[in-house]
Amino acid sequence: MSENKVEFQRLPAEEQFKEELEVLISAEKDPIPSGWKMSPKSVLTYVDGGIVKGKKITPKYLGNRRLVEICIATLVTDRALLLIGEPGTAKSWLSEHLVAAINADSTKVIQGTAGTTEEQIRYSWNYAMLITQGPSKEAMLKSPVYHAMETGTIARFEEISRCASEVQDAMISLLSEKRISVPELSYELPAKKGFSVIATANTRDKGVNEMSAALKRRFNIVVLPTPKDIQTEKDIVKTRVAQLADNFDLKAELPSELLVEQVVTIFRELRDGMTLDGKQKVKTTSSVLSTAEAISLLANSMALAASFGDGTITEYDVAAALQGAIVKDEGKDAAAWKEYLENVLKKRGAEYRKLYKECRELN
Amino acid sequence: MIHYFGIRHLSPAGAYYVREFLNQIQPEYVLVEGGSDLTSLLPDLTREDVILPAAIMAYSETVPIQTLLYPFAEYSPEYQAIRWGFENGKICRLIDLPSSVFLAFQEKKAERLANLTLKEEMAEEAGKAEEKEEELTETFHVYDELEKVVGEDQESYWERRFEHCSNCAQYREAAQEYGRQLRELSQDSKLEWAETLLRERYMKYEIERAQKEAKRDSEIVVVTGAFHVDGLKTTEPMTKEEIKMLPSLPCKSTLMPYSYFRLSRRSGYGAGNKAPGYYELLWNVLQEQAIFPDSSTSAASEYLCAIADYQRNYGHMVSSAEVIEAIRLSNALAAMKNSSVPVLSDLRDAAITCMGHGHFSEISMATAFVEIGSKIGSLPDGVSRTLIQEDFYRQLKELKLEKYRTAVAQNLELDLRENTRVKTEKAAFLDLNRSFFLHRLLALNISFVKPQERRQDNATWAESFVLQWTPEAEIQTIEAALKGDTVELAAAAILQEKLEQSKTIAEVADIIDQAGLCGMPKLLLAAVSYLQELSVDSVSLPEIGTAVEHLSGVIRYGTIRHIDSEPLKPVISQMLYRACLILLDSCQCNNDVVEEMILAIDRCNNAFKQLDFLESDNWEKELERLGDADNVNMQTAGFATAILLESGKISQEALAVQTQRRLSVGIPADLGAGWFEGLAKKNRYLLIASLNLWRNLSDYIDTLDEEEFRRALVFLRRAFSDFSSGQKCEIGENLGEIWGLNKEEISEAVNQEVKSEEITGLDEFDFGDLL
Repeated sequence: MSENKVEFQRLPAEEQFKEELEVLISAEKDPIPSGWKMSPKSVLTYVDGGIVKGKKITPKYLGNRRLVEICIATLVTDRALLLIGEPGTAKSWLSEHLVAAINADSTKVIQGTAGTTEEQIRYSWNYAMLITQGPSKEAMLKSPVYHAMETGTIARFEEISRCASEVQDAMISLLSEKRISVPELSYELPAKKGFSVIATANTRDKGVNEMSAALKRRFNIVVLPTPKDIQTEKDIVKTRVAQLADNFDLKAELPSELLVEQVVTIFRELRDGMTLDGKQKVKTTSSVLSTAEAISLLANSMALAASFGDGTITEYDVAAALQGAIVKDEGKDAAAWKEYLENVLKKRGAEYRKLYKECRELN
Repeated sequence: MIHYFGIRHLSPAGAYYVREFLNQIQPEYVLVEGGSDLTSLLPDLTREDVILPAAIMAYSETVPIQTLLYPFAEYSPEYQAIRWGFENGKICRLIDLPSSVFLAFQEKKAERLANLTLKEEMAEEAGKAEEKEEELTETFHVYDELEKVVGEDQESYWERRFEHCSNCAQYREAAQEYGRQLRELSQDSKLEWAETLLRERYMKYEIERAQKEAKRDSEIVVVTGAFHVDGLKTTEPMTKEEIKMLPSLPCKSTLMPYSYFRLSRRSGYGAGNKAPGYYELLWNVLQEQAIFPDSSTSAASEYLCAIADYQRNYGHMVSSAEVIEAIRLSNALAAMKNSSVPVLSDLRDAAITCMGHGHFSEISMATAFVEIGSKIGSLPDGVSRTLIQEDFYRQLKELKLEKYRTAVAQNLELDLRENTRVKTEKAAFLDLNRSFFLHRLLALNISFVKPQERRQDNATWAESFVLQWTPEAEIQTIEAALKGDTVELAAAAILQEKLEQSKTIAEVADIIDQAGLCGMPKLLLAAVSYLQELSVDSVSLPEIGTAVEHLSGVIRYGTIRHIDSEPLKPVISQMLYRACLILLDSCQCNNDVVEEMILAIDRCNNAFKQLDFLESDNWEKELERLGDADNVNMQTAGFATAILLESGKISQEALAVQTQRRLSVGIPADLGAGWFEGLAKKNRYLLIASLNLWRNLSDYIDTLDEEEFRRALVFLRRAFSDFSSGQKCEIGENLGEIWGLNKEEISEAVNQEVKSEEITGLDEFDFGDLL
């Protein structure tokens, strides 16, 4: 990694994995779609990992190669892509890396919120200039989508279902006509080849601002599942924690295999409402126990261990972090967590003994 | 000149190109992989009016029956090759080992497995168990290995490489390469490999035989699995002496209809054919393109449109735009795998993304319908098959059940009564005859029919069944051929066999029932006389009870099935007389079997009540004796009294006397309370109404000491346990009257659940023989 990681908290994917992208581009053998930096296959290699010209490409999205293939194939056909999933199933992560590989620029993002307006999707004006000079191209503030259309690249729309319906619907004409009209300048911007949109939406927000059928129809929908088995999830957690530790310069050792397994097991069991062997029912909690949450939990424990401990993560650090992650709603979650500790964790044997004791202390 | 054409079984492109190849070569001989003794069935198989899928089935004549299936679909290369041979008047032969040899191998394998299991049972060691598993999984081993090597599931791999080949030469080359690859991978599984080598040497023998017969310059085409091509080219033919040494099992063969559903599960070949519906679609597209080379039809559009169509039919909106998007996406997915034509997995994923909104569950029904489908084959009359198959189909036609021969389960409701609105007798009793037929199939364990329980249990004229045709049902039918040539004969033979093996009255009674249901009066009579024979020796009251209940059922409801019940009457009276004779002795039993006895008494008593030709004087006399007896199980005595009370044979006063006697001072608690328990098993309203009874009971309880009371409590609680809460209230009312208490208080106390603290008090209690 270069030295600029000291300066910025978080680099866009294309900066962080610059070397990998360069290797892939230089090793390109297959035809490249217009507007793209590399062939669909290379994009797949970038996301799914592999070895190119002797350099290891780290896998970015683990677990389901076929879904990544579908995503890339969708973008090749210049259809818009909508990623749906539970919170923390790496929707934004996948979308960022796809765009980083395809355009080497993942920064054209609209963050959907309840306050997002239509102007943020199309264009708005520099009002000082608008008043002094009247409408002109210079006075125009282009939205990320506008930019993407101009340059034939991909724009990202995060959490699209958080926006109000009328704002969402502004996307419909953009996606079907593939042009933005600017009546003030009697001008129309046609999208260049290669333009597309990757949107993400959260299943937990379903029903808040349900997407209209008309808008949904403009997207190919890919549902991102939670990791299908514990091994995949462990791999994801380990890889990401290592990357984060590197980014944040955490001066602690990486969590041990055992600890990762324990955290992932606890998360999976509380998420699915039953033990891994399927023999015992467990109360679920209100909090979202996603893979992303497990990653941040372990990174958090590393920070604790580095700052206040001796640099190795202990069960003590993890217990505190677990408490924070799981017990979001004091009454209900605390009860479910205690019940889980007594009924499941306590009976897990020697390996879990220490973790159980530390958790017990906190309750 | 010998030409080898390696194919994949059930491959549309293979079917298409093998025809092209045959047209090109114009061979005199077409030799196809398949049991050589089955060649005689080929003319029937290739008849125009045979609807595929169909299969050739060989089955052993000995038990346990071993079966061998060669299923064919329209798109089977073997079928198309054979058809070409017949269409062009060439000689067409199957050249693999005779089915009798295959069946002998199978039997050996089955024995080996059984031995292995036996060994395993004897030495329950983990290591040995693993060994066995290895044996079992050998067959699937090759294909798993292949999937690992190519990194894509085998179906997709095959389809991508072969089904979309653009010409014949390319297909042959690819298939050969694939066969070679498979061969390399499979050589490490010993048993399978040995069989493969044997088969190839035999095939070579048949090929050389054809070569010798043929004119010098005539061409021979050999159509076999790609796997065998290399082997056939190099192996030595089997000698005649060796052929004589092959094991063989006497067997027969027949044609049978098959279904796409079964083809998708178990094709009979090592490799499955997971999506027969889709493969047929591929075949049709190939056919169409052959006629109209400019046609824009593609398997992709056919498949996706079919899915869309299904979705629309079932109320899900799918727009044409979505179908178009799905086609574009599938093309893009195929391009990522370096192929120009999307395969099934690409198409399905595209359909999920564009039409299913990312969820497979939304289109899962549609994919099942399009990929597998419910198609079943059928054979016209006169095609060679077993007599019992012919009988089965004739009966289906006669009984107007043909529309139920589908792969989809359908309900059939029968009304066994005479239909008075129709003219002919046959039509009037159509449903009755259907019922006979279906019950016979049930007796033969043919899964075409399944009985459905009815809620309305008194309607003896109504029956309902679920009918569904599957190739398994056909196989079961063919297997039944060993029992008889018609469904009726086979069913009768099975029941006769069962009858001869039965040892208890209950078993025979069951056969009597079945004979009645199947409409087999002769067998019924045989069973009845056997029953009579058995009942002479049999002295057990419960057995008599069971038999009597069955017989009485047949007598009462037999008329609807046209059963002559006259011959049954003497048998049942004889049995009931016997019951009278042994009643008292039988009731000297302990508490373990008393439930059974009471059930038997009840059954016999019901028979007396229901059948008016029976003389019940003896029975009542015996019951009275039982009611008065002191040397029998008290529960039975109580029950006898209850029966007499119900039929008004003893008065309330007599009951009061009885009660006093049974519940008098000094009678041990288990006897007294046991008697009461028996009494409480019959008509409870009569008991509740009798205030005297409760007074006596109350007085009796007063006389018990602490220990005795505890024992009595167990019996009484049990006796009252299945009283309804309303009845308990009424008892409470009675007792309240006796004790002068408020009835609400009592009813509350009586209806309370037992608390766990109360039970813990019983921990030290000696239940003795109470439990």
